[in-house]
Parts: sequence; structure tokens; C-alpha cells
Amino acid sequence: MISMSNHHFRLTVKSFLFSKREYLNNILIIALLAAIITGSLMTGDSVRESLKRNSEEKLGNTYLVAGTGLRFFDPALAGRLNQNHNLITVPVFETRGYCQNFSNGATALNVSIYGVDSAFFDFHGLNCLKISDGGVLLNGNLAGYLGIKEGDEIIIRFREADPIPENAPFSPGKNGTSSKVFLVSGIIEAEMAGNFSLGISQIPPMNIFMNLEDTGLSEGNSGRCNRLLAAYSTGLSDSLLYKLLKTELTLTDIGFKIRKSDATKETEIISDRIFIDSSLVFSILSYVKGYPVLTYLANSITGKSAETPYSFICSSDKVFSSSGGNSILINKWLAADINAEAGDTLTLSWFFPEGSRLETRSEKFYVEGITGSEPGFNDPFLMPEFPGISGSTSCSSWDAGIPVLIDKIRDKDEEYWNLYKGTPKAFISYETGKKLWGNNFGIATALRFPETTGTETILDALRGKIDPADAGFTISDVRESGIEAAVSGVDFGTLFMSLGFFILLSCVILLTITISIYFDSKKDQIRTFHALGFRNKLIGKITIYETLLIAVTGALAGVILGIAVNFLLVTALNSVWKGAVQTDAITPAMKPLTFLYGFISTVFVSQLIVVLKLRRYLKLLSGNGEKSYSVRFQGYNSILLMLTGFATVIFILLTILNHNASLTISFSAGILLFVSFVLVLRHYYLNLSEKRARSIFTLSAGFYRFNSSQVLAPMIFIASGIFAIIITGSNRQTITPEMLENSGGTGGYLLYAESALPVNHNLASEEGKREFGLNELQFRNTEIVQMPLLKGDDASCLNLNKVKAPPLLGIDPAHFVNRGSFSFASVLKAYNKNPWLLLNERYDGNIIYGIADQTVLQWGLMIKTGDTLIYRTEKGQPLRIVICGGLKSSVFQGHLIIGEENLREYFPSVSGSSVFLVDTDSEAADDLKDLLSDRFSDYGLSVEKASDKLASFFIVTNTYLNVFTILGIFGLILGVLGLGFILTRNFELRKNEFSLLYAIGYNSGMIRKYLVTDQIIILIWGVITGTTSAIIATLPSLRNSNGISLTLLLLMISAVTVVGLAVLYRSVNKIKSGNLVLNLRKD
Amino acid sequence: MLQLTDISKKYPARGVVLDRLSFSAQKGDTIAITGPSGSGKTTLMNIIGTLDRPDSGDVEFDGRKLTDLMPDELSDYRNRNIGFVFQDHLLFKHLTILDNIMLPLFSSAISDSELAEKKTFCSELMERIGIKELENKYPFQVSGGEAQRATLVRALIRKPSVLLADEPTGSLDAKNADILGNLLLQINRDLGITLIVATHSLDLSAKMTRHLKLESGKLTD
Repeated sequence: MISMSNHHFRLTVKSFLFSKREYLNNILIIALLAAIITGSLMTGDSVRESLKRNSEEKLGNTYLVAGTGLRFFDPALAGRLNQNHNLITVPVFETRGYCQNFSNGATALNVSIYGVDSAFFDFHGLNCLKISDGGVLLNGNLAGYLGIKEGDEIIIRFREADPIPENAPFSPGKNGTSSKVFLVSGIIEAEMAGNFSLGISQIPPMNIFMNLEDTGLSEGNSGRCNRLLAAYSTGLSDSLLYKLLKTELTLTDIGFKIRKSDATKETEIISDRIFIDSSLVFSILSYVKGYPVLTYLANSITGKSAETPYSFICSSDKVFSSSGGNSILINKWLAADINAEAGDTLTLSWFFPEGSRLETRSEKFYVEGITGSEPGFNDPFLMPEFPGISGSTSCSSWDAGIPVLIDKIRDKDEEYWNLYKGTPKAFISYETGKKLWGNNFGIATALRFPETTGTETILDALRGKIDPADAGFTISDVRESGIEAAVSGVDFGTLFMSLGFFILLSCVILLTITISIYFDSKKDQIRTFHALGFRNKLIGKITIYETLLIAVTGALAGVILGIAVNFLLVTALNSVWKGAVQTDAITPAMKPLTFLYGFISTVFVSQLIVVLKLRRYLKLLSGNGEKSYSVRFQGYNSILLMLTGFATVIFILLTILNHNASLTISFSAGILLFVSFVLVLRHYYLNLSEKRARSIFTLSAGFYRFNSSQVLAPMIFIASGIFAIIITGSNRQTITPEMLENSGGTGGYLLYAESALPVNHNLASEEGKREFGLNELQFRNTEIVQMPLLKGDDASCLNLNKVKAPPLLGIDPAHFVNRGSFSFASVLKAYNKNPWLLLNERYDGNIIYGIADQTVLQWGLMIKTGDTLIYRTEKGQPLRIVICGGLKSSVFQGHLIIGEENLREYFPSVSGSSVFLVDTDSEAADDLKDLLSDRFSDYGLSVEKASDKLASFFIVTNTYLNVFTILGIFGLILGVLGLGFILTRNFELRKNEFSLLYAIGYNSGMIRKYLVTDQIIILIWGVITGTTSAIIATLPSLRNSNGISLTLLLLMISAVTVVGLAVLYRSVNKIKSGNLVLNLRKD
Repeated sequence: MLQLTDISKKYPARGVVLDRLSFSAQKGDTIAITGPSGSGKTTLMNIIGTLDRPDSGDVEFDGRKLTDLMPDELSDYRNRNIGFVFQDHLLFKHLTILDNIMLPLFSSAISDSELAEKKTFCSELMERIGIKELENKYPFQVSGGEAQRATLVRALIRKPSVLLADEPTGSLDAKNADILGNLLLQINRDLGITLIVATHSLDLSAKMTRHLKLESGKLTD
């Protein structure tokens, strides 16, 4: 039995080989289609693989990270984990700062600073690398930026590893930063862990590595860490690391100290953060029986006729055993000082931190009694170890982090300090103290235990019991997250296929034309099969086999050509299109699966066209085989033309005469003009055919009257291509006057600033203004909005990775509500409320509201309004942020905005403010920019115009638009090549007509002219239609100078026209009179 | 054997071509259909050969109503029962003469023995028709008359019941036209095939036993 497929295959191959030269065009077009698809997909692979490699290179051997955010732990913890559990971990202190080349003054802001010991480089397999004493290592990127070399000196300013949060009550000073000069002991490149980073971004970081001991504020605090890096080891997972951490974590690791009170002999636990978190208070007291103490500093205690300044008040159920409320016990000294006795009413006032402000609060208390000499009431240990207070020799030398009015301090106050130090002068119940002074940093300043409970008892009771989350630890699988972010980031494969839309479209159109030509050439063959009794299915099968051979040949060549396309695209991304990727480190990558995708999709597309054409043809063959002709009514076209023309004139006048015409009006005018041009061309051919033929050229109208699609389709393709490219080009984003208004993307603010180190002063307060000289004349009309920032991964369009936790920006919404600043692209519809007003509200528990740029939501985070993002609070609890609004393009792109109050509550260690919006007189903006940079130079403040900040985000969009325009022009030119095929097919379809002309005496030159004239009309009319209607449609953009550039426009028009004419000239010259003679003979 | 009853066919551009036409043919008949250009000869031949469907009326073959058949059934019927010879030889340029002749056999599965049998039959036919030496040549390497004889062999390879020849001598010179006409009759005699020829040629028409004229959509003797 001879297999049918053998026969068919033989028939197919013979047919293919016989006609291979005729199929060359099909093969070339399919190859181009495959090359663009495969090349685009490969570019997607290249970007993804580069991002993955970049992520792995930055992490080095890091597999998991246990981070404590802005809290610290003892690096010895890593040693115990390694020793007791065979792990490979290394402690790191990570912070931000800025630095300056000592010799040339070049400054780099927002530099990552890592405090490491030698184990860090061992961890990364770089055993030989060490940091010399007093030296630092810089990565190549930073060294290049600063123009610094080994042996040079560098000034580094950063916030040291100070365990006390800067915003915490009574934190000393308001600038826990210092400048240090280091010697650059080496410059390390990426392969030597130089680009180490735990963040997710393709942009190379600027890194400084210093010895861990150089990162501490004082000797006592040196060598504290906030990151624990874990290398891969068998079976290690985030849950296992968490478990092992819990096993090893001790109170000492997280900054707790156990001591004995000299007065009461009780054992107490105190924290180097001063305030102890509520979760730890509950946790510790659940394992060891004791009680909490909360001691606070009152600014004043006022009695009937006198006032005592700056006194510590202790709240504790041990020393005040009554049920609480506003009862107070006072010591004898205080009673004498303010002449108070039991039954009197006292007023206590104190400072309470509210964001970056200090709020004075006060409360009245009923004097329940006067304390005696019991040790519990005379214990100086009850005063927390406030760093700026406890070591002071006098009250007047306190650095209490609050404004201390020296004038108020009397000699007797100094005497009390000398005799009793911070021994509390008054006592209230713990519940009342917690209510008044409990804050985001904690609800106790000490935990006390009976004398019988010794240090060892406490340590034993808590061994393996401290939950790492309560101490602020969060475990991240950074390697997995980095890879996931790279893989799920911007898909350049799809992006380039979209940007190369016109090329793909042109390929499909050209393929459709060439396949039509193929079917024309195969008509006899198919008809013969039909007459010989071949079933339609079999005819289809044979045809598909043959076209499959064409498609496979073309696609195979194309996928190989795709390598070159990928190389070109990657080269462009690393150079001229760098704006889209913000790096020059993309390298070409090839994946076998991508070749397969490119190959299969190309073959599928080409075969789909074949199948559609074949079905149509076979259907025609099964019918009467005649094309139905019907008479076109010119009158209908004329009426339509008149109506459209009238509407076009009205809309064009509205666009031209009204300089503030909206884009809707101009776009409508453009579309109407486009339609009018199409109708005019149709009218031209219909009208010509109505008249008697005056010349050979009017004869063509007869053909096109019944085949109008053959003249309108290519004309519309050229016109719409040009139209789309100009329209897309006009979407280039530039700063418009509307963006500078309050409702615009700048919020109406003139300057945008970010500081490398947080500014802990309230710049609206007199003290803050004084500190930075903002009370001077030149700042008189200046308004500064300051915002705290929790660092995260940039979610703006400048980051190609998919980010899950963008930086959190805390905002006091009142600023923007009052000014009507910024506008929303989407809002949470469930609440009929301004989204800004929701920011300081909360759903329930740890659920709050957030706002982000719509672009960030849509492309960066891939979520929408109403969706929820989950963060971990500083205490390790999940914080759900419900997106209540998407901002129109704003200076906040890349951030997630939440209410300042919420940020301070959930991330109390985030100190001061790092982001600023400044408004002032517009003419003073430039001067103010320089002044602010100067005044805040200690904080590494970078000030730029808000409009420039906004414009910096446009670079990505504008680069994409450039790519689209250039690829679009290329695609259009490719499409114009189709005119040559159309002309050839036109000739084949109308051969009888031309043969007749030849027979009656027209020479071949005349016939060629006759044939080409219509194609030239199509080409020129298409160019005119597309250009003029697009110019009208984008007139408002052109007036704002953000339309397509004139050079590019002229280049496109010239290229399309010249290539079109050249193709037509070449195609028409291939037509020989011999073909006509043959046709005549046959007929 | 072949019965056409009340066949009508109309084209939008040409109007009525066949008007309630009836016609029958028996096994071994030789029939010439003549008529002016545009009278509908090709349309009639296409309807007999099931390449086209009538607007109304029935076509029956051996008592089986062809107008009720599905497209695939019609293809099979055509393949087994009808042989076509067109004015244009319609040979595939990329296939040898032998391949072109064998083409109808590949429309469905064929056994080795059947193929061998058909090859022998093909050789005999080619021998008889005088184109044996052309079997490995391509259509563009043979003359018009030879190509037309090749299409005749191709039409006969399935041993059809009816051979339809639409202007078979239209593109041939007088000598070749005469040779082809004789061949058609010889085939009719030897194989008992019903021969229906649509032609302008009086010489060819004269060779047939039955003469029908198509005029105004109707056939007259």
C-alpha cells in the first residue's frame, strides 16, 4: 500500500522546487516577520536575563536576609548561628549617606553605606579582600562618579548605628549623623561584590564598604547591625532561618540590658532604645513575672502658686498601687517646692512627639499623698538612660532633644539633680502613664522583676522564647524575590513587538498580498485538482503542505536573522535608547524556546492567512466561480463627501481659530479630514468612470470602479500609517503650564528636594526656621512640605523590575487638600471622599489607605485602585495598604503615599523628613534652590525644580515613543514596498485588458505608464492624507512644541515617497511586452 | 445512464444560460454539442461534470440524483466516473507527463496492486495514444497536441463512464485535431465510454453519432 502522504509530499515538494524563485518574496517576508518576532522575544529574554544576572551579581552569595529595618542587633548573633547550626551567615550594617571627594569636592548623594567585617568578603568568596583600618572600599560606579582613586581621601556623612530612633521622645540632638574622613583603600568592581545590594533595581548602586566598628555612634554602640545575610545551605528556608533565629535570639542581641536597682534590689530590663515595644513587654512578662515601668519627663508641674520645671514622673503599679485614674503621689521635695498637699490639684505638662513636631500636652492630677522614704519612691534607676540626660552633670547641660528653657532651671533644681539625679518626683498609675506617654516606640521604659528573680533566671526563661518578629526581624528570600522581580518586570519582548507593530502589520499585509499572488498563480492547479475529483479537504491539504514549506523555509531563516535583530535592539538599548532601561549592561541572550516561539508563531500567522485565503477560494470554486459585480452609486458618495467636507471645515476652523482648542476637537477635525480625503479619492475614480474616456489614464477608473478596495486599501494603509506615527509622536510628554498648576503633577510646588539623611527639624516651627536660617527675608513667602520616607525599591518607570514594596512616603494630607494639589486618575469609588482625606484614616486594625501614581499602580505594581499591598511593620506585623487613589502623573512617581501619622506609628524608627516640596515666588525659585542646597548641605539635600523632577519620568515614555516612531517609519517603508506587489498583481489580474490595449496599438511604455499612474496617485494621496490630517489632529500639541519633530516628519514623508516611487518604477519596468504577446496568443 | 431534467442556470451578468433543459445519454453514446459562443456549452458540460450546480432541475447518473450529493461525494463521483478534457491542457508544469496522468489516482487511498495495475493500464494507453516516449518529459517540453493527448490519458486513467471534452481541439492545428478526434472515438469504441464533446469544430462534430445544438438555453437535435 502506497501511503497517500508520500504522494502528496512528493507533489508538494516538486511544486515547491519548481516555483522556488516565485516564492522568494514570500520567503523573504516570512523571514522578516520571524526575525522581528524572534528578535523582539529575544530582546525580552536579553533584558530579563540581564536583570536576573544583575540581581544575582548584586546579591553575591546572599540567599536569605534577616533584616531589622532601622533597628539593630548584635553581630555576635551571626557567629552563634554559624557555630550552633552550621549556617553561613554574616552581619551587615546598612545605611544611606552621602560623600565627597576630599580633593575635588565632587559629591555623591544617596550612597549606600555598608558596615562589614572581614567575614563579609569571605562570605562572597573573596577571602583576600580586607578593609584597612580607617579605610573604606568604594565600588567602581561611585569611584568613577566622584573621580576618586585608591589612596585618596573621602568625606562620608551618614547616620550611625544609633539604637535610639531619632524621633523617639528625648532622643538627644536632632541630627544623629556625623562626617568622617576615610582613606580610599581600594576600589572594587561588580565581580568583587562591589555592586552588592539588597534592593531591586537594574541601576548600578553607588556603594561604600567600611569596617563595622567605624559605623557606631560611640564605642558602646559600635558594631551594631541591621542585616543578617545567609548563604545557601541544604534545607535552609526562610521559615527555618526564622526558627533558628528564635532559638538563638537573646535580650542582649537586641539591645536589652539586665541590671539591679540599688534602691529596691529589683532586677530590671532596660532597652538601648529607651522605650520597650508593647509586643516585647507582653511577651517578656508572659514568661517572667514582673511589671512595667514608664517614666517620662514633665516640662512642668504646677501647683496652686508655684511651678517645678523638668521633673521625671514615674508610672508604675508597684509604686502606685491604687486603681489609677488621675491620682498622683508626689515626693516631699516636690510638695515643698510647689507647696502642695494631699487633696490638691496639680497640672502636669510635657512634650509629646507628633510627627516631626513636639506637641505640649497637659493633664490635671489629684494629689493622693506625699511619698516617704521607701526605696521604691527614691530610686534614681527609675529614670531611663536618656543619653543626653543621664550622664549630665547639671540640668542646664541636658541634651534632651526638646527645647529646654535654661532660664526656668533654678539652683534648687540643679541641687536636686546633683543629689538624686533623675529620681522621679511624682508617681502615677501605669495605666494612666501608658495612656499619656505610651508612644509608637513603646509602652515601658523598664520591666522590673522581684529581687529573687535574678539575671540568669530571666535569661533562662526567655531562651528561645523571643519572637524575632517582635524584635523587628523580617526574613526575605532576596534571591527568589530578585529573580521574580526580574522575570515579572517590564516585558521587553511584548513591548518591542508592540513598538514594532507597523513592521509586523506591514509584513502581514505584504504576506497577504504575496499569498494572493501565490493563489493567482495556483488557480489553474487548484481548478485542475477540483476537476479531477480531489476533495476540497485534500486540495487544501496539498496547498497547505506547499505553503508550509514556504513558511518553514522563511521562518527558519527569520529566526536566525532574529539574532541580528536582537543584537541591534540590545545595542540600541545600551546606547541611543538607554533612557528606556537606565543601564548599559543589557547583553544579548538566546533561549532555544524563544527560537521555537518565533518559529511557530510565524508559521502559524502565515498559515492562518493561507487558510483564510484558501477557504475563500475553495468556496468560490464550489460556487459559480464568478465575482459578483454591482454598480456603485456615485451620488451616495457625493452626498457623504459633502456632509463630511462640511463637518471637516467646521472642525478645522474651530481648531485653527481657537488657540485653546481641546485635543478632542482637533482630533475630530483630523479624523474628518482623513475621511474626506478618502472620499475624494473614491469620488475621483467614480467620477472619471462616469465620463467618457478622454485618455488612456481615465480607462483605469473602469477597473477601480468595481475594485475600489484595490485603490482605497493601500492608500488608507499609507495614510493611516503616517497618521498613527505623527499622532503617537505628538504624545511625547513635556511639561505643560497645566502641570505647574496646583492640580498638576507638581502640585503647584516649584521645588522638589530629597535628602540623603533625614532632617529632624520641623521647618515650619520657629526653632526649625532658625536652625536653617529660613526666617531670613528671602524665605518670607516660602512654604515647605516635609515628608518622612521609608526606603524601598523604586517603583517608577525607571525601574524595569517588578517591585512589590515601593518606598513609603508619609504625607500630612492637609497640605494638599487645602491647596487642591495634584489630581487623581482613579479613585476608590466606594467612598465619595477626597482620597487625601482617607490617608490618616484606617479600615480596621493594621489596614490603612495609600495613594500612588496611576502609572506606578498600572505598570510598576500591576494593581489597581481598591487593591491591597502588604508591607511588614517595623514590629513585623502585616500592614495592609488599600489603594484609594491613583494620581495623574506626579513628582511622587515611584513612591507609595500613606498618611504621615500612620507611617510614624507603624515605622516609628523612620526619623525626620527626607522628601520636601517647596513653594515660593516663581522668580525666586532658582536662588532658593541654591540657598536650600547650601543650608541643608549637612543632610545631602538635592534640590531640583519640581517640573524637572516630573520631566525626568518622561524620559522612558519619550524613549519608547522614539522607538515606536523609528520602527513605525521602517514598517511604513516596508509597507510601501507592497505597492510593488500590488502593481504586479494588478498587471496579472488585468492582463487581458492590457493585452487588448497592446493589440490595438498601445506600446508597452504607454501601458506601463497607464498601470503606474494609479499607483502613484495612491502613494501621493496617501502621504498627503496622512500628513495633513495628522497635523490638524495634533495642532494643539504642535502649538506646545511637543509634537513630532519637523525633521523626523520630513524624513518620513521623503522616505515613504522616494521608496514608494522607486518600488513602483522597478516593478513597472519588470513588465515586458513579451508577456502580453503570450497572453494575446493564448486568447 | 445519464439523465438531465429541466436544468436551468442563470448568471447575474449574462442572464438565463440554460432554460429548463433536458437531456439523456446512454452507455457508449458519442454526442456532439454545438452552438454559438456564449450559448452555454461550457456551463452545460460543467453541470454534467458536477463542476457547477444548476439553479433548478435534476442530474441523475445510473438512477442516482447527483444534485443531492454533498461536495465531497461529488468529488468522489467526479473522480470515479467523469473524465475531463479541456481546451487548455491544464497540465502541472512541475510534474512529468506520467505524474500528471497518474494525478487522479492520488485523490484517495490506493493499494500497491491497484497502482501497479493502473501503471500498466497507463502504459498501454500512452502506447495506444502515441505518447509513451513522453512519460518522463515535462509539459513545457512537449507540443500542444502531445499535451492534449496527455490530458486525454489522464482523463481515462480511472476508466470513467463518461468522457467530457470541452473544445478539445480548440488549441490544436488541423492535423493534431484530427488525430485527437480519432483517438476519442477509438477510446469510445474500445472502452465503451460515453463521449460528450462540446465543440465548434464541424469535423469533430461529424465524427459523433448524435448531434445536439444548444441555442437559447435549450438543446435541439
